[in-house]
Amino acid sequence: MKKSVDVSIPLGPMHPCWKEPVRLKCETAGERVLKTEMELGYMKKGIERIMRGRPWQEVMFLAERVCGICSVIHNMVFIETMEEISDIAVPPRAAYLRVVVNELDRMASHLIANFSYCYTIEHETLAMYLLNTREIVLDNLERITGSRINTAYMIPGGVRFDLLPEDAAAMLADLVKVEEEMKRYVRIFETGPLIALRSKGIGFMSHEEAIRAHTVGPTARASGVEDSDLRLRHPTYRALGFTQITRTEGDNFARNMVRFQEVFQSIDLIRKCIETLPEGPIRGGGLCKAGETSYAGEAPRGELTYTIKTDEYGRVVDIAIRTPSIMNIEACAHTMIKGATSIADVTSTFISSDPCVACNER
Amino acid sequence: MSILQDIKNAVRSRSIHVAYVDVGSCNGCDIEVLACLAPRYDIEQYGIYVHNNPREADVLLVIGSVTPQWVDKLRDIWDKIPEPKVAVAIGNCPISGCVYARRGTLTSPPVEKYIPIAAQVPGCPPRPTEILNAILSVAPLIYKDYEEKQL
Repeated sequence: MKKSVDVSIPLGPMHPCWKEPVRLKCETAGERVLKTEMELGYMKKGIERIMRGRPWQEVMFLAERVCGICSVIHNMVFIETMEEISDIAVPPRAAYLRVVVNELDRMASHLIANFSYCYTIEHETLAMYLLNTREIVLDNLERITGSRINTAYMIPGGVRFDLLPEDAAAMLADLVKVEEEMKRYVRIFETGPLIALRSKGIGFMSHEEAIRAHTVGPTARASGVEDSDLRLRHPTYRALGFTQITRTEGDNFARNMVRFQEVFQSIDLIRKCIETLPEGPIRGGGLCKAGETSYAGEAPRGELTYTIKTDEYGRVVDIAIRTPSIMNIEACAHTMIKGATSIADVTSTFISSDPCVACNER
Repeated sequence: MSILQDIKNAVRSRSIHVAYVDVGSCNGCDIEVLACLAPRYDIEQYGIYVHNNPREADVLLVIGSVTPQWVDKLRDIWDKIPEPKVAVAIGNCPISGCVYARRGTLTSPPVEKYIPIAAQVPGCPPRPTEILNAILSVAPLIYKDYEEKQL
């Protein structure tokens, strides 16, 4: 009898294409992938266990160290959860400044995701262009918050630093440069015949599969899942007239294009914020109280939920974090990679779902 | 000092192969190591190549406080690297455990318990220039006259 599975190919945990350790086990017949299994657990640090019983002043710094790539949104969702528990109002200027910093972080995250994809399909030129553009974005993040990665910019009832007019002008000048460069890079990506061969029609996930697997973020939006961006429900983004970007192809190309388009959208949102930036204080103050609630925000990779229970001194009694990547990479293993015609497509498809293992395992 | 050793010293100073391993960090140091590749810092102009293969690496960048899964695997990776080799700890995590070294944690820092560390770059996360500086200053110290030191 003919054997149906030829080889079982393990990828990882240490792999040239992967930033973080994760293990994929592919069962193949020839080059065709029949089944993929994902093995997680290399990064489990027990951060939720560390958080329990600590005051919010400490948990705030722990929260942004859940993930280094999207640290601003972890900070923002944790702080907004605490504000919802304690009924703390945010001054309008602070709310707009939060959006500015969050969108800068989203741009940096999307650029490094697309850098990883281009690096994986060996288009090193475009990868290096994107990585260099990311440095300009991080410069602006540093200019506003004082730090490149772990910013700790938001606090209950406001933000730490005001945006000075000269900093805003410098940022807008940088954004013009970024937008011009990005237009060129997106043209390279859209029209490159070799990129199309490696991306279009590879790693397909249909609309139904995307919904059944509970995918979130750009992965879901690339498969045409409407109303899947939580920024549509955030009051500040609603005031800025945010609309969601959706594509229907559902392949590697679409996932990367969604992220490219969201970079342009972030640039527009920042410009709109700076134009309509209200005057006033940046910190309102307030006291963190007892309560329990669940709150979600849109991270660069999708929906991020914090469920927090606090006591009357503002200490975190219980906390549960639900991060976006876990659904995306499980969907990636079970639907996108399945049926791939080449082992070389496994790594690129996995990277196209923008895996963030540090977020997943915490 | 022999001529052969001179040639080896000259070649090795411009050919440093780097592998990095994340043993449980927040990802921040990872992307700062990746940022070193960017044309702004241009790690390759110093002859440093990052390709993440321990079998041909000279320098191992260790990132993160050690999670239970990595306790044995980190040693395996270290044994796979050919001599002369050197390990550099990037960030606060491999030095002290940073924010993760608290009650309830699953990690067991420091990395020095598992493999010998030649240099440490503190910071949460350190800047790409600091990482670059550390690699450039530690590598020649280890590789200079390596064969003659062995005798």
